[in-house]
Parts: sequence; C-alpha cells; structure tokens
Amino acid sequence: MNSIIKVENVSHVYSQGTPFQLTALDGVSVEFEKGKITGLIGHTGSGKSTLVNMLNGLIKPTEGRILLDGKDIWEKPKEIASIRYRVGLVMQYPEYQLFDETVREDIGFAPRNLGLSKEETEERVLEAARFAGVGDDLLDKSPFELSGGQKRRCAIAGILAMRPEVLVLDEPAAGLDPRGRREILGGLCEYVNKNDASIILVSHSMEDMALYCDNVVVMNRAKVYRTGTVDEIFSDADSLVDIGLNVPAVARIASELRKRGVDLRGTLYTVDGVREAVKDYIRRYGK
Amino acid sequence: MISDITLGQFFPGFSPLHKMDPRMKIIAAVIYIAAIFTANTPAAFALMIITTFFMITLGRISFKVILKAVKPIIFILIFTAIINVFLTKGEGEPLLAFWVIKIYKEGIIRAVFMALRVVILIIGTSVLLTYTTSPIALTDGIESLLSPLKKIKVPVHTFAMMMSIALRFIPTLIEETEKIMNAQKSRGADFSSGGLRKRAKALVPILVPLFVSSFKRAEELATAMECRCYRGDKNRTKLKALSFKARDFFAFLIFSAVLTLVILSRNTDALIGIKHRVLDIVFYKL
Repeated sequence: MNSIIKVENVSHVYSQGTPFQLTALDGVSVEFEKGKITGLIGHTGSGKSTLVNMLNGLIKPTEGRILLDGKDIWEKPKEIASIRYRVGLVMQYPEYQLFDETVREDIGFAPRNLGLSKEETEERVLEAARFAGVGDDLLDKSPFELSGGQKRRCAIAGILAMRPEVLVLDEPAAGLDPRGRREILGGLCEYVNKNDASIILVSHSMEDMALYCDNVVVMNRAKVYRTGTVDEIFSDADSLVDIGLNVPAVARIASELRKRGVDLRGTLYTVDGVREAVKDYIRRYGK
Repeated sequence: MISDITLGQFFPGFSPLHKMDPRMKIIAAVIYIAAIFTANTPAAFALMIITTFFMITLGRISFKVILKAVKPIIFILIFTAIINVFLTKGEGEPLLAFWVIKIYKEGIIRAVFMALRVVILIIGTSVLLTYTTSPIALTDGIESLLSPLKKIKVPVHTFAMMMSIALRFIPTLIEETEKIMNAQKSRGADFSSGGLRKRAKALVPILVPLFVSSFKRAEELATAMECRCYRGDKNRTKLKALSFKARDFFAFLIFSAVLTLVILSRNTDALIGIKHRVLDIVFYKL
C-alpha cells in the first residue's frame, strides 16, 4: 500500500497526573492510502478527534510518531507550521473560524499567511471557492451574512486555498440537509481527483462513508478496532453493531434479508448496490 | 495549554471539606483570613500553619497541587520580602550595615511574617473555597448569605445567577478559544512570533469569532431560560437546598477557637498599647 500518512504506535494522554487524566489514544498504528478517501468512524470519545488533530501537528503525541510521506512531522518542531499547509484540517463546525470582512479575504487568509503574491492569492481563492461551491456573487459579502450551509462552504474553501496534499475533514457535512451534504462532499471528491490529493473523512453518517470512501478505519475506546476497504468493513455489519455503531440503513435491511434466507449477492451497503442485488435475485428466482 | 490553569479550579471529591455547607465555608474563610491578619507572634503563625495543613489533609488535596497554586505568586512574594528586609527600620543595632543598606532584625521578622501570611492565605482560601467547593455551590452560598440584602431591594439573586453563568462559561470559553486558535493555526496563523503590533493583529482572527459565538450563545441561553419560564427567584426552589449539619457547627467552633487563640497570643505589649491609646482618645475627648 502506498501510504501518504503513517501513524506509528501513537498514544496520547490528556491532563496527565491530575484527577481529569484521560487516555485519548492508546498505541494506535494506522496508514492512510495516497490518492484515496479514507473514512474514520467511531463513537464520540473514541479518540477520532485527537487523532485528527495530530495529523497536522496541532497536538503532539505523548508517544509514537506520525510520518507524512515517510518523514516524521515532529522532526523539526519549529517547522510544524509548514506541515499544516500540507495537511489541511477542516474542523468540526468550521464556520466558527470565519472572521474577515469579506468572504474573499477570509478564504485568502491562509494563502496570505503562506506569503503568496496578490495575484496568486486571488487565483487560489477563486479555485477554492469553485471546489467548495461558494458562488462568485458571495465573494464580496461579509461571511456573517451567509446562511449556515454557505458559511460551512466558505470555511472549507479557506482550507482548500492552501492546496493541501492531504485534506482532513471532521464531520464536514454535520447539520446540513441532504443536498448540501452531496454538494460539499462531491466538491471534495473533485478536488481529490484534480490534485491527486488524499482525504481523511471523519463522519457519523454511514451512508456518506459507503458512498464516498475507499477505505474505512474504525476506532473504538482509544484504539483502532478495524481497518479495511469499504467492502470489507460494511459487509461485516455485525462487528460494527457489536461496538454500538450503525451501519447504513440499506445494509441493515440487506443483512436482515440474508438472515431470512434471501440470497442477495454484490455490494450490499449502498442503495444502488442493494437495488441491483434485489433485481439480480428476482432475475435468478423468477416469480 | 490554556486549560492547565490550576488556581481557581475545583477538584471533585467526597472529603469532609467537600461535604461542608458552602455558606459555612465562606464564613470559615472570613474567620481564617481575620486570624491570619491578626497573627503577629511565632506561636500564632505556627497555629495558622497547623490549621492550614489540617485543612489540606482533610480536603485530600495533593501537595503537588498546592505547590502549583503558590508558584504564580512566588515573584511577588520574593519582591515584597526583599523590600521589607531593606526598608524596615528597627530599634537597636542593625544586624548588617553596608553602605546605605542597613538590615535590622525587625525587617527580617517582618519579611518572614509577611511571606508566610500571603502563602497560607492563598493556600487556605483555595483549599477551602476553590479546590473543594464547586463554583455553583459557592454562588449558592454567596446568594444565601447575602439574601438579607433583598430586604433593601438589592437584586441578590440576579447577581448570583450572573456569577454562576459567568463561572459556568469560563471552561466553555477556554475550550472555544482553543478550538478557534487551532482552526486559525490550521490556516497558518502565527501567534507567537513578530513584534507587538504583529502579535496584536494576529489576535483579530481569534477575537472576532469568539465574540460572535459568545453573543450567539448568550442569546440562545436567554431564549432557553425564558422557554423554561425563568423569571428570577420568584417561586424558585432548589434541587440542593443548603442546610447546616453537625460538621458545619463543628467547623465553626474550630475556626472560632483558632481566631480566639490567635487574638490571645497577640503581642501583649501591643494590646496594652492599643488600650492606652483608646483610653487617651476617650479622655482627651472628655
């Protein structure tokens, strides 16, 4: 596997030595494949967010290493800022980070920090706005005038403007309607394809995972529970249910049908896949 | 990072000190402070130190935490001690005389007493009021103690509510600040380098979102409170009604005893001196 980020035996403990001590990560080793979309799922408190904040150096692991393209990101602690341009992190509810007078300037914050020229900043702003689905008519508005979904897109554009090699997104579609979700996630896929970038996507929505991801990492109680391709993870729905996670609703239906003797074959975790499988079943057994 | 601040942090627990009524803790703290400032003999200070140790063990607070609480004031402590040593003029021969600097015995005693006073003041009040009392219990206690002021139309409940809301949102604000800082760092913001101007400017991307979300949160909270028919303290009952228990009276007795002992141990010369002065004034007026 050609991995872009390699997490090696990483542990992290918050507030060590106080009554609030909390082990957020416990000896986690995992690899994220280059040019692919990897989903990260797990319960609240399973260590997802801590892991995600480590990938671009916001949190330094108490133990272990994180390799970006084979190099330890903490090798030169003073140059950690350069890692943050290469690994773009979109946090949960990123609309809270908007601050500038216009959308254009807010998206241009990262390129300006990178020290790019005015022309190049403008070019990047337009490009990022296009990927994130921020319309040209919004660019000169104040970010505080926008609707919730527009703010979210604007904030995501603010990260895309750095042209990161790896894009880490923590629940980018939380709280959006289905159409908003599709637009944002679709735009991100387009960005990955155009720039040969990789995505790490944290989400609670198994439907989104099944639709957009290539690989899935499942976390449970500060440890990596399972890793594999979407096929491998979702075809074994029971092990996800065991740790209290959901599987896509169609996958549950398919799994119930199979338990009752309906012999479905094929991808059984997306709506399209199950539809084909049912059609195929009907074809095979007739009326 | 920011969340590592210890001074003024509550450590949940079930020690006798945690179980004490917050009103009695406030009263005890007042008595304790009075005793500290009345103490002026080595014996009285020894008694105060013993009382403080007793409170630390009773509250089951680790000494590491105590050290952390004292750390921020060490500079002030050393500074005042030095000033006291050099500037206090005493009777008799100076212990050390060098050029214009003269150190007297009184100066050293005063510096030591002063430092001791500040240290045990900080330790005692934090053990009693912040480490073992949750902020909510504390405001409840303050509200209850100040409730006689309601008679003269002081909005005690409103003040207490404002205080508990403010206290409640300190951790939230810290968390929020950290989140926004991380978000801006992810966009390459740099808060730790450059001159004063540059650093002040670097705060804008933090402060603007922080203000926006605080106002939003305040409005949401107000709406939520109104939805649940909040209208001040009218007909409001409490889930945890405060009540004095035997241990509270016992604590009151101990602290009163300490204060009495400290007063009795005071330099009698000074007491006599004060008495004379009072008498002089009285007679002079007559």
